[in-house]
Amino acid sequence: MDTGNSENAQESLAAIENIMKQTRKAIASSHANSLLILWGVIWVVNNTVLQFYPDYAHYISWGFVAVGMFGTFLIHHISHTEPWVRTFLSQKTSRRLWWFWILLFVYAFIWLKILAPFNGLQINAVFSTAAMFGYIVMGLWFGSYFMVWLGLAVTATTLTGFYFIPHYYCLWMAVTGGGTILLTGLYIRFRWR
Amino acid sequence: MTELDNIIHQPLRLRIMSALVVLEPAEQMDFIFLRNLLKATDGNLGSHLAKLEENSYIKTEKTFIARKPRTFISATDKGRDAFNNHVAALRQIIKDTNK
Repeated sequence: MDTGNSENAQESLAAIENIMKQTRKAIASSHANSLLILWGVIWVVNNTVLQFYPDYAHYISWGFVAVGMFGTFLIHHISHTEPWVRTFLSQKTSRRLWWFWILLFVYAFIWLKILAPFNGLQINAVFSTAAMFGYIVMGLWFGSYFMVWLGLAVTATTLTGFYFIPHYYCLWMAVTGGGTILLTGLYIRFRWR
Repeated sequence: MTELDNIIHQPLRLRIMSALVVLEPAEQMDFIFLRNLLKATDGNLGSHLAKLEENSYIKTEKTFIARKPRTFISATDKGRDAFNNHVAALRQIIKDTNK
């Protein structure tokens, strides 16, 4: 093989690397990771407030869920209408995802009703693990092991808090559960900058 | 030995595939975004995308979002394999020259 071919090959590899780097940077600045950041913040704040005001848990949690749902809808809407959005799931897949998440929580609610009576700690643990089950399913669905590991890690921290430190469960979930989701979102957003 | 892929070897097509393989398999890239990223013209990009699609290296999906037509592009498994083989062939050329 002559050196001319080798130089061309090196130039091609450099061009490939350059475009891949630019693409990652552009994707990192998209809205794709905003959902993780949004829900991470909601977990942190919601659980911190719950730790100190357990008597108002019902109102607090539904309030934060409403904020989260509205934020999710807003991010979804912006990322589908902005002309400079970088990556998309097909509309059909996107619709299926919405239905999956809605049904997952409807079923979690049904199971809770069947298993009643229950306390606030149990409700929190059921919905936290249901959300993480959703992450794992999505990870398997899209072949993203990262999502699977994130789901398994937060499930493990939820169970640890539930069984071993019930008195500080909400604070524990704020730091480990919410913190993990928030840091993951921030890491994905900034790693390629 | 892995050989260079003649379809991907063309400079713009190589850059198109480089951008698309970064995405997760379920993700698609907006045509306008790809055009801006590669600093290509509509016509030039369109013709090279057609060539890649003809060889099943990419898939395009035309749809309407907020009543505006949009085109989304993704690399197929075949395209990803071809790209990886092409990169391996380029590395092999450099390695052989340095022996």
